[in-house]
Amino acid sequence: MNLKDISTSVPKKDHKGKVSGQLPYISDVKMENMVYGVLYRSPIAYGKIISIQLPNLPEGYEAVGAEHIPGPNYVKIIKEDQPIFANEWVNYIGEPILMLTGKDLDILYSLLNEVKVEFEEHQAIYTLDEAIKQKSVSLVLASYEFGESLENISAIEQGAHQIIEEEYDTGYQEHVYLEPQGMLAVYKDDEIVVQGSMQCLYYIKNALLSALACGDDEVRVVQSPTGGGFGGKEDYPSMMACHVAVAARAVKKSVMLVFDRSEDMLVTTKRHPAKLKYRTALDKEGNILSMCVDLFLDGGANVGLSSVVLQRALLNSAGVYKIPHFHAKGYVLKTNTVPNGAFRGFGAPQSFAGIESHIGHLSKLAKIDPLEYKRKYLVKQGDPTITKGKFRDPILVEDMIEDVLNVSEYNKKKEDFQRLNQQNQRYKKGIGTSLFLHGCGFTGSGERDHIKAEVKLVKSKDDQVSLKISNSDMGQGILTTLCKIVAKELNLPFEDILYPYPDTKEVPDSGPTVASRTTMIVGKLLERAAKKLKNQWQTGVEQEVVEHYVHREMIPWDEKTFTGDAYPAYSWGVNIVEVEVDTLTGNLKLEKVYGNYEVGKVIDERIMKGQIDGGLAQGLAYGYLEKMTSKQGRIQQKSISDYGPPTSLDIVSIESKVFDNPYADGPYGAKGAGELTLIGGAPAVQAAIEDALRTSFQQIPITPEVIIESLWMREGEEG
Amino acid sequence: MIEKITAYRFERLDETLSQLNREDCAIIAGGTDVMVLHKSRRGVPPKIPKPIVFINHLSELKQVYQHHKDLHIGACCTYSELLENPLIPFALKNAIKTIAAPAIRNRGTLGGNICNASPAGDMLPLLYVYNAKVLLRSVKGDRMVEISDFIQGPRQVQRFHNEMVTEIILPFVLGDSHVVFEKVGNRNADAIAKVSFAGFVRMSKGRIDDIRFAFGAVGPTMVRSIDIERRLVGKTIPLADADIAEIVAAFDKIIRPIDDQRSTAAYRKTVALHLLRYFLSMKQYQPN
Amino acid sequence: MITFTLNGRTVETDAPVTARLLDLLREEFELIGTKEGCGEGECGACSVFVNNLLQNSCLIPIGSIAGADIQTIEGIIETKQFKILDESYSIAGGVQCGYCIPGMIMASAALLSENPHPSEAEIREGISGNLCRCTGYNMIVDAINLAAKKGDGL
Repeated sequence: MNLKDISTSVPKKDHKGKVSGQLPYISDVKMENMVYGVLYRSPIAYGKIISIQLPNLPEGYEAVGAEHIPGPNYVKIIKEDQPIFANEWVNYIGEPILMLTGKDLDILYSLLNEVKVEFEEHQAIYTLDEAIKQKSVSLVLASYEFGESLENISAIEQGAHQIIEEEYDTGYQEHVYLEPQGMLAVYKDDEIVVQGSMQCLYYIKNALLSALACGDDEVRVVQSPTGGGFGGKEDYPSMMACHVAVAARAVKKSVMLVFDRSEDMLVTTKRHPAKLKYRTALDKEGNILSMCVDLFLDGGANVGLSSVVLQRALLNSAGVYKIPHFHAKGYVLKTNTVPNGAFRGFGAPQSFAGIESHIGHLSKLAKIDPLEYKRKYLVKQGDPTITKGKFRDPILVEDMIEDVLNVSEYNKKKEDFQRLNQQNQRYKKGIGTSLFLHGCGFTGSGERDHIKAEVKLVKSKDDQVSLKISNSDMGQGILTTLCKIVAKELNLPFEDILYPYPDTKEVPDSGPTVASRTTMIVGKLLERAAKKLKNQWQTGVEQEVVEHYVHREMIPWDEKTFTGDAYPAYSWGVNIVEVEVDTLTGNLKLEKVYGNYEVGKVIDERIMKGQIDGGLAQGLAYGYLEKMTSKQGRIQQKSISDYGPPTSLDIVSIESKVFDNPYADGPYGAKGAGELTLIGGAPAVQAAIEDALRTSFQQIPITPEVIIESLWMREGEEG
Repeated sequence: MIEKITAYRFERLDETLSQLNREDCAIIAGGTDVMVLHKSRRGVPPKIPKPIVFINHLSELKQVYQHHKDLHIGACCTYSELLENPLIPFALKNAIKTIAAPAIRNRGTLGGNICNASPAGDMLPLLYVYNAKVLLRSVKGDRMVEISDFIQGPRQVQRFHNEMVTEIILPFVLGDSHVVFEKVGNRNADAIAKVSFAGFVRMSKGRIDDIRFAFGAVGPTMVRSIDIERRLVGKTIPLADADIAEIVAAFDKIIRPIDDQRSTAAYRKTVALHLLRYFLSMKQYQPN
Repeated sequence: MITFTLNGRTVETDAPVTARLLDLLREEFELIGTKEGCGEGECGACSVFVNNLLQNSCLIPIGSIAGADIQTIEGIIETKQFKILDESYSIAGGVQCGYCIPGMIMASAALLSENPHPSEAEIREGISGNLCRCTGYNMIVDAINLAAKKGDGL
């Protein structure tokens, strides 16, 4: 299939295996000489392990703990604060302490119940609010501050007409990838092969090298077909890999660790709950004179990736706006709860929900339509970013807004709804908008300093070209899109390009599958490699081409001063959402959803539509439907129905359009798209609910409970 | 460590009842509640503490028929089967459609929903306002119990171990009454009720002849009060504001829901009373 | 011993009566197309046909399916209906990570067998027991709609 325009959709490479159900995910794999592993987890939120008493283990059943770890007892992520097997302090309910291995799961579960661990329990910190109140440096896992000096802001506030302070809360979000986490360590005399559901092949390899204190060729990692990730399989699998690899080494058998849904919901990483505090000075007309944002993320018990989540949250704290005299400060605080981690958006959804909410509320004070108010502050090409970087490329948001206003009949709907709402007592309709962006690629200087991506193309004697990269297809379709890029470049049929599941024995480190970087960064490297191969092409000869990441220096990113270009490029979006609120029950019905997006160039239209529909469904649900709570350090929702991700009856058709705006450093002009589509959902839903009920909210998710309470309070005030 | 499991699956109801007379067994119809209640972790069968009797294949438990004005529903009719049966009233079918999803409805049974006696049982509010009766059969004979007596608490029903629920009877269901059911869940399918409400009104010569309300998921069992209902008998429609306020206030006192992982007590109470008030404020009640 | 029909063949097992049909299919019969996503009947990844009815195999104790006719995704792969669904899901872009897909296909087949020309609302109802986290459902709804048109009453 020779493609005229890269955007034209092609049948996906892995379609057959998936529709037939025969593509094996890790839990579908069986090995000779394999045992299962089950984890004993801490029942307390904070304390010291005093003693561990194991039951009598039958023949073939063994216990594996910290003492079996050849290397240091830390999962190598960023900082060394996450034990593989906790053996001194435990910091959250669910923290793994030891593993039992054996052939029969029934016996393993019984044995697990007989493990007795004595703890010295200490006072835990259960919530972000508690952690904030403590004002203790020991609880700060990460922090950054940047922007206008506080003295200047103070001076401006003196002359302001009004100072508005708002406090906004965002909740957990749980990935609920359909395939629960799973990892297998295959034991061989001379090497351990770890395979499973994952996003980051080399994160896992590096964690294993550290834990096993072994040579580079003694451990090998292979990605299994992965049933969804969304960031939930970014760092968490590293710990599971350490568990099974250490156990395999210790018991000299292959060890399989697969989670139940309830285990997965209770102990794996989630989106950081956040608190955002805004302090904005306004003039008489309601124009913004200055703004201070204080941002707090609940990191849970370990720092994990939280420092980078905080960075992205802060980098997005002013949204798509050019705010005069802007200052921001952020903290990741430790609580004795499940450690939080990556989730599509990675700090941006929290910030955008917050800033869109705040700006929306300011527009009400100024008595201007929210969208009109937002457009006044929209950044333009050439404007500086809040970290003194620059928006170098054309920004099409104004065009996208005009288009979606037309398509959605926004202004007419707004008027119609106001009239309808006067007449209808029970059901109120509303329409709301959101404007958002997403910085493509790893935050800051990560690509240049840490990842240093490398890709390889290998051509066999029969002229079949294979992609040798470490990136995971977890449903987003890179098995297809990256092959398309290489096929088009080499002018070969798409079917002749191969992309086997990444294996550290075979592929260089092209970086993790995160940060919406795969198409833009890895795709670009593949495009260059393919061009090179084409120039050197020799039929019937085995050839290999390698390409390394080349950093185009703009304004260099400095993490200490938090200044410079944090991202090389940005993708943009506009959402409009229509809702109907049942004031009797607080239930929400989505009526119409619109999304306009700009991601440079689309590598496959159908795959892009899938990212729009799927990302926006998650984003909307983050705003009103999905709720996860923690009580005394324990996650309360351990079944899918208790948590509430949307079913087919909760979502409506999404009308979307993608605008072309090719980016020079992206393959065929493509930028990142995977996370962008989620970000606009929650703020648009909130704006629509506020329009319907003529009331302001200060949190997401805006569940029926929140709506009913708000209506009840208003009734109390009016009556 | 695998314990021996005893299980029975007889061809006929009378053989099944004989076994129940011999030992105290766990009865499994569709299994959609039992298999979750006794669920183990991944890859391992559920742990059911008694000998098991499978019953969902017994044809004697799948009959739906009318007898005089009463509707008799076999306890092992699945929800899907009831949806296809022309004798089942419209309101009951609407309630069934709010349950879970097609695959569950193909397996779950009405008898199972009753015997599981969940505080949030989806069919229960409507069965209460229908004044449904449960027919229990044993080797000793038949026993009829009002559903409100049969269900005694969460997962507790008044069934002796040698008895089985064979039929659910809805008395005079085919009269001309107006029935409503509303289930409030956290999403539009696969949701456990946070609050549910069933209302029943029969008019006669422009006055209320019979009015009934039942609330689900706001107490350990359905909340119903014959005393409060009696206050409205004989009144004309639309009801006066004062009457509506009085009934709402009366229920405000007896509805005492809890906070849990799905919702809050405040929400449940507020919405329950909203649904009640909405029902009472209707300008007319058409039979359905 | 429990005997039943599996994908057209008569089979028997001496697994315990309370064993979940899901585990039996995956472990004893090595049919990996039926997946575990939740173990509680809430996600539909374990969907099978029992006597031609869509059901969640994670909730079925095998003691209750003695003599029944069970079909898994492997059992319908050769049918014309499956081929049309296969093609339609591809054209409509309904497959992302794939984990929900065998269950979705079973639900799609069950829906179309009973209702060959469903409306959008009926399609959404038909797959309301199948959770998908990747697609947001819309392209799956398109796929089923397309299959209904292509199949025309199949």
